[in-house]
Amino acid sequence: MKKILAMVMAMAMVLSLAACGGGDKPSTSAGSAASGAASSGAAGTSDAADFKVGAIYINSKNDTAGYTYAHHHGITTAMEELGMDPATQLVIQDEIPEDEQQVLTAIDTLVGEGANIIFGISFGYIDAMEKAAAEYPDVVFSHATGYKCNDTNFNNYFGRAYQARYLAGIAAGLKSLETGNNNIGYVAAYGTEYAETCSGINGFALGAQSVNPDAKVYVKKLGAWADEVNESAFAKELIDSYKCGVISQHCDSAQPQIAAQDAGVFGCGYNSDMTADAPNAHLTAAIWNWNVYYRTAIEAAMTCGDASNYVSTLGSGAWYGGLKEGFVDVSPLNEATCAAGTQEAIDAVKELIISGEWDVFSGVKLHITVADGAATVEKADEALVDNTGAEIVAAGGPSVEDSVITGTMNYFVAGVEEA
Amino acid sequence: MRFHVVKRDNCPLWKKLCLYVLAVAAALGLGALVLLALGVDPVSYYYRMFTMGMVGNKIAYKTFENYLKVFVPLALTSVALSLAFKMRFWNIGGEGQFILGAIAAATVAFKLGPVLPGAVTLLLMCLSAMLLAGLYGAFVAVLKVKFGTNETLMTLMLNYIALYILTFLGEAKADWNFYLDPNSVRPIFASFSDIVTFPKIPLVGKFGLNVCVLFTLVIGVLVFVYLKYTKHGYEIAVVGDSVGTAHYAGMKVNAIVLRTVFLSACLIGLAAAFKVGTAGILSTAITDDVGWTGIIVAWLSQMNTAIIFLVSALISMLRYGSTVAAATFSQVDSSFANMLQGSILFLVLAADFYTRFRVVPVQKGGKTNGNG
Repeated sequence: MKKILAMVMAMAMVLSLAACGGGDKPSTSAGSAASGAASSGAAGTSDAADFKVGAIYINSKNDTAGYTYAHHHGITTAMEELGMDPATQLVIQDEIPEDEQQVLTAIDTLVGEGANIIFGISFGYIDAMEKAAAEYPDVVFSHATGYKCNDTNFNNYFGRAYQARYLAGIAAGLKSLETGNNNIGYVAAYGTEYAETCSGINGFALGAQSVNPDAKVYVKKLGAWADEVNESAFAKELIDSYKCGVISQHCDSAQPQIAAQDAGVFGCGYNSDMTADAPNAHLTAAIWNWNVYYRTAIEAAMTCGDASNYVSTLGSGAWYGGLKEGFVDVSPLNEATCAAGTQEAIDAVKELIISGEWDVFSGVKLHITVADGAATVEKADEALVDNTGAEIVAAGGPSVEDSVITGTMNYFVAGVEEA
Repeated sequence: MRFHVVKRDNCPLWKKLCLYVLAVAAALGLGALVLLALGVDPVSYYYRMFTMGMVGNKIAYKTFENYLKVFVPLALTSVALSLAFKMRFWNIGGEGQFILGAIAAATVAFKLGPVLPGAVTLLLMCLSAMLLAGLYGAFVAVLKVKFGTNETLMTLMLNYIALYILTFLGEAKADWNFYLDPNSVRPIFASFSDIVTFPKIPLVGKFGLNVCVLFTLVIGVLVFVYLKYTKHGYEIAVVGDSVGTAHYAGMKVNAIVLRTVFLSACLIGLAAAFKVGTAGILSTAITDDVGWTGIIVAWLSQMNTAIIFLVSALISMLRYGSTVAAATFSQVDSSFANMLQGSILFLVLAADFYTRFRVVPVQKGGKTNGNG
């Protein structure tokens, strides 16, 4: 009897849905019926009102946190700052894997929609974007985290996240002093395989050591840029097996922070302010203000006259901003969790970096002491040494090259260990 | 009142068609409800989707070329799967067979491409892809006929082995790994599009027809003939209907299973060679899920070769069109296509039920009010 009833219900459903399908057609109550026609203005020749921005995302544009969200938020914020309407002037292809043909197809779609500038946010889009830049010379292409560019309409962009990491490291180091636990955990997508993760871990460790010379950073690698299950599991392992009292991360979700909160320890997030996710654990996060770049890039593409002038307008094919440009930063400190004096210490170091007086990977180390709500920063000539004891930069020497930080850094500094 | 399900003797074609059209319309209606809930006008969304954004597009020819790139692997894979399905051999391993075919084709392109003429390389790419994929499929068929293993589980799990082999090739930075770009610090696949790719036949304006489209159509016709007019095709049908009958008729069932599964997997390998030979590069997303979607297409088409082409064209339009439409409708993302595809499958299968059965009220005393 049950079976029969189920079948009748199925039939009823089919029929009622069919009826709905018929009834929907004249519906005009719906909201935005975006215009279909492709605008045909080339980059630079159009004003803000008919300039179109295209974007290719690795994850969903409807994400509410993580890497894609950070970029999407940056692009929409920049467009709003420039008086543009993202609802009609931003065209997106999302959930595009790092597959050349799929990226090229997405680009064709965006160009067909009339995009004047196209941003691609994932590293693996690199070759497709290079090809497309040659195929569509009147469209600007801009690629995050890559290293390829040309002299006309194709550039890459990335930021000095290691500077923000250093500041977050200070917060973690001070917390470790306060709790008397020198062990700090770090859930990372990758380790020394990628300069991006490697430089972040090193910057963070040096920051922690600037306030707590005994701080040790244990790195647990995910082997993937996003893996929520292991992000949580590895954080727990670092807390349980390595007795870590602060958990930092280089991965997409806030899972490590939530795991830290569940275990009653502390943590530093990444990409976006994760205080809301773990209010009792989160100290501060190294964050990206992608809108800073997106605004610069969209303005350049709008004013450069012709797409071929885009790179020369920006001044370089590789845009590499840091604390100075406001491109990277730390999120507002969580008053409930941060150790006393954290803000003062961070502010003092920030000033040194912004003024260009000092940088993270140099032969000069900072020793910061916090007392009575004031931070004292002392500089000392000390060699930058990796965790095998090999010298990277001699005492008093200049910072390592940017190309090392973005491309070839493949060692952990002293005090960092793989867990 | 009680109801009873009664078998229909034969459902007239017009009724069948009506039911299927109704089912698709119902799925679109369901999608429309979701769109309305998202604040999107379903009419303009569906218009964008079914035209794939080609109206008013200055590079519409590109759109059509890209559409065919989605269509070819899907159609060919679905045709291939239908061969095995007709025999009730549940080949869920299209993904894995496709991946191995892709790896074989790429290997030939990298190693032989630089020394052999293009046409020879392409032919060898196709043959090697067919052979490797075919053996991967036949391996499961051997286990089935020898040890009676469950082919659904075996093919399913072999998908992941193939996928992880490909992922390994994509991530293992080493001197031997010629699949990767040596100039990149981060591991990314190297392109061989400078060495060899399938040519395009210039047709109208800038539009070029990839030769793979023609090959796929020809193969479709051949498979149709094979299934309908050859002894092999008849044997497949008999084995599919009843293994016992096939045995009784003196058919070598094991040989038929092995042969057909090999052929099925071969064609999937060929689809992979077409895909890789057109893209000129490997990728961990190379299958574009055709091994899964192909199952849906084969079922929706009830293993009918001609209808498979029709359904593949429709599903490709739906998948590609919805990503194009999603570009301008910020509330809708590409997962809408998956939802719509699932609804269409579910409702068409439901409609299919009513072409073969009917529901009639049971009269008092339990006598069925029907003649079925």
